[in-house]
Amino acid sequence: MESGPTELVMRIAGGNDREAEGEFCRMMGPRIRLYGLRHLRDRESADDLVQQVLITALETLRNDGLREPEKVASFVLGTCRMTVLNQRRGVRRRQQLLDQFGVEMLAPAPAAGPRLDHQKLANCVQGLKERERAVIVMSFYDQETAADVARFLSVSEANVRVLRHRALHALRDCMGVAL
Amino acid sequence: MRCTEPLDAATLTDYGLGLLSQGDEERVEEHIFACEECSGRLAEVQAIAEGVRALGRAGSLMMVVSESFLKHAGEHGLHISRYDPPVGGSVQCTVTAEDDLLVGGLAANLSAASRLDLSLCDPSGNEQFRLVDIPFDSGSGSVLWQQSITFAKGAPTSTMVARLIDVRESGEETLLGEYTFNHTRTLPGPAAW
Repeated sequence: MESGPTELVMRIAGGNDREAEGEFCRMMGPRIRLYGLRHLRDRESADDLVQQVLITALETLRNDGLREPEKVASFVLGTCRMTVLNQRRGVRRRQQLLDQFGVEMLAPAPAAGPRLDHQKLANCVQGLKERERAVIVMSFYDQETAADVARFLSVSEANVRVLRHRALHALRDCMGVAL
Repeated sequence: MRCTEPLDAATLTDYGLGLLSQGDEERVEEHIFACEECSGRLAEVQAIAEGVRALGRAGSLMMVVSESFLKHAGEHGLHISRYDPPVGGSVQCTVTAEDDLLVGGLAANLSAASRLDLSLCDPSGNEQFRLVDIPFDSGSGSVLWQQSITFAKGAPTSTMVARLIDVRESGEETLLGEYTFNHTRTLPGPAAW
């Protein structure tokens, strides 16, 4: 049976519990990756972030533990923020720590969420109304600002958000995923 | 464990696109890290976003695009094949293996248009497909229509007529421009569908 995060923290602090550390990585890895995708904007950097944050977090949990184990999620988020800051400052000690902790357990987390059928997604996107498709493609592919999308569609920025939301719902229904 | 205060899909999408204020973003992140259910839903939004990015790169969608879309694609190394037939005229076109995107520039006076449809017809003028209520900039004087490159690469030598139609609230239709694309197949494949 899977342990909760608080229990995992206490097990990791107790010593060499590799199983607990592995479970911790499987639990937090996908969340760290999502943070990385948002802030670093590419998959490779997000995967690197997962490794670095897990290394740092495990090191802390092994050596010092957490005074308030129930706050482990905030601790990992804080570690993400610090790591991204440090990355931007050019701080690198990844290889040394990889050697210490081993690359196997810290392999990049698999992309969380459903593996999409791309042909089906293409059909679903093609099935959207023209303006909804434009908003979705301009937002996700083009990474246009809401103002630029609004100008192209001759609508307000608030309307762009509504169109995007409606389009995502339509895609969800078409793809059969629960957003 | 079920989340008692799930983040809505619009908020998750805005987070992924970096559209939230710093305070809202931090609130969402605190929630995501503590909540398996919402982090899973965010992953689904991200998966769709990545899928749409891949479709954009693949050029496989038939849709109206913006100049900035083409600029973005060009900056990312995509090869764009673009044809601009004159209003009422025709253009000879083809698609090669190196082409990533296929775009038609349809010039028209859009200043008085209310709802704009793009009708795709066979050489006899019979409508085969219609893109309803396409986005357009009334001041731009043109519509950029992307044909699916996947479709075009597989298409035999053929002719397609595109029509820009202004549709009034009453349902009355006014033809703003007609453009003929004479496609010659240059890639190996069957002579007909």
